[in-house]
Parts: sequence; C-alpha cells; structure tokens
Amino acid sequence: MATPKSRILDLLRLRSQIFNTNFNPLHERLGNKILRQRLKGPALAEYYPPRVHPSVELRKAFPNWKVGDEHEDQRLANIENRKRRGKGTPKKRTAAESKKLTKRRR
Amino acid sequence: MPVQFRAKKLDIGSFINKWVIRDHTKRKVYKEYEPERQALRYIIRNTSLPMRTRAQAQLELSQMHCYTRSTQINNRCLLGGRGKGVFRAFRLARFQFRMNALKGNLPGVRKASW
Repeated sequence: MATPKSRILDLLRLRSQIFNTNFNPLHERLGNKILRQRLKGPALAEYYPPRVHPSVELRKAFPNWKVGDEHEDQRLANIENRKRRGKGTPKKRTAAESKKLTKRRR
Repeated sequence: MPVQFRAKKLDIGSFINKWVIRDHTKRKVYKEYEPERQALRYIIRNTSLPMRTRAQAQLELSQMHCYTRSTQINNRCLLGGRGKGVFRAFRLARFQFRMNALKGNLPGVRKASW
C-alpha cells in the first residue's frame, strides 16, 4: 500500500522544522542560495598588509621605555649640521620688523 | 568619482603605486557594500516576490557604483604591484616569486631538479 502524498509532505515539513531548513516542496526559486553564501568582503579586504610604525607603536605601548627613532635622530643631526655651516633656517621676524621690510620694498 | 572612497591616509604597507591603492580602495568599498548587494541579489532571485519589486531591485543593483562589484578586484603583486602573473598563494608576481624563491625567502619553495 502506497503512502499518501499528504503524509509524506507532513514528514518533510517536520524534518525541515527539526533541522531548521527551508520547506519548499514545489522547488520554487526563493533565492535562499544567496542567503546561504558567506560574505567574502572581510577576507578580500585583508589582501594587502597593513602599514605599521614599529617605533611609534612601541612608544605607545611602553611609555616608560626609551625607544630610539633612527629617522628622527638623523633629521635632527642633519639640522644641526646645516646650522653649523650657517645654512640653517632664518630666525622668525617680529611683526614690527616685517612691516618695516615690506614698506621699504615699496 | 572614485576619489570619494579613497582613504585620507595611506594604510597599506606593501609596494605602493596608483593601481595598488586603487585596488585596495575597491576591496574596502566591496566589503562595505557586500551585504547590500547580496540583499538585492536575493530579492532579484526570489520568484515569490512581485515582479515589480524584483525589477526595481535589478535596476538598483545595476546602478550601484562599479567599485562595489567584486569583479573589479584584481590580485596584485605585493612587491612590485604587477597585476598579471600573480601567484595567489604567495601574492607575488612570477619574477618576484622567482627571485625570492632563489634567495630562500619563501619557506618550502625549492628549485625543481631531477
């Protein structure tokens, strides 16, 4: 004796309830395929390595430690060197001085 | 107007040129808009929804900025920025891969010889 169709459908409905799946006996296209897909964006966005600043981050993590910064030291040394050769930046003028100079030019 | 998406500050540490920055921007934009795109795609594929809704979703999806599309993303070489001949596993273009492999910078890679 064949099982009636309604009974099989009941079984299917119960099965989908238990396993938390979609009950779709007519096989309609409901687009659930897309809801099941995982998001690829986070993985794709991590392709290039992030920019890191070791000395800055170390100093932030350990404020009590003395962490050297080669770039900064080199920059200060270069400025010192130029000053010694008389090629440093000129001193900032006061407001009165600059006014005088601009007037003379006219 | 891709400028609207570009980061104000450089945030990647690999080889930099304009194509690398552009590709990185596209990746970030895609990540941001991916849920929206998937929602629209769901509406379009769902045949139980009214045809009008689905057509509207289709229109909206097609009118999104091209940077929100995954097909715009292209893997580029981390050491040279090349867009072609890039090994996915090493993220390096073929010549950079060869040089680094011969130098021994890539663990587990050996020159074949038999």
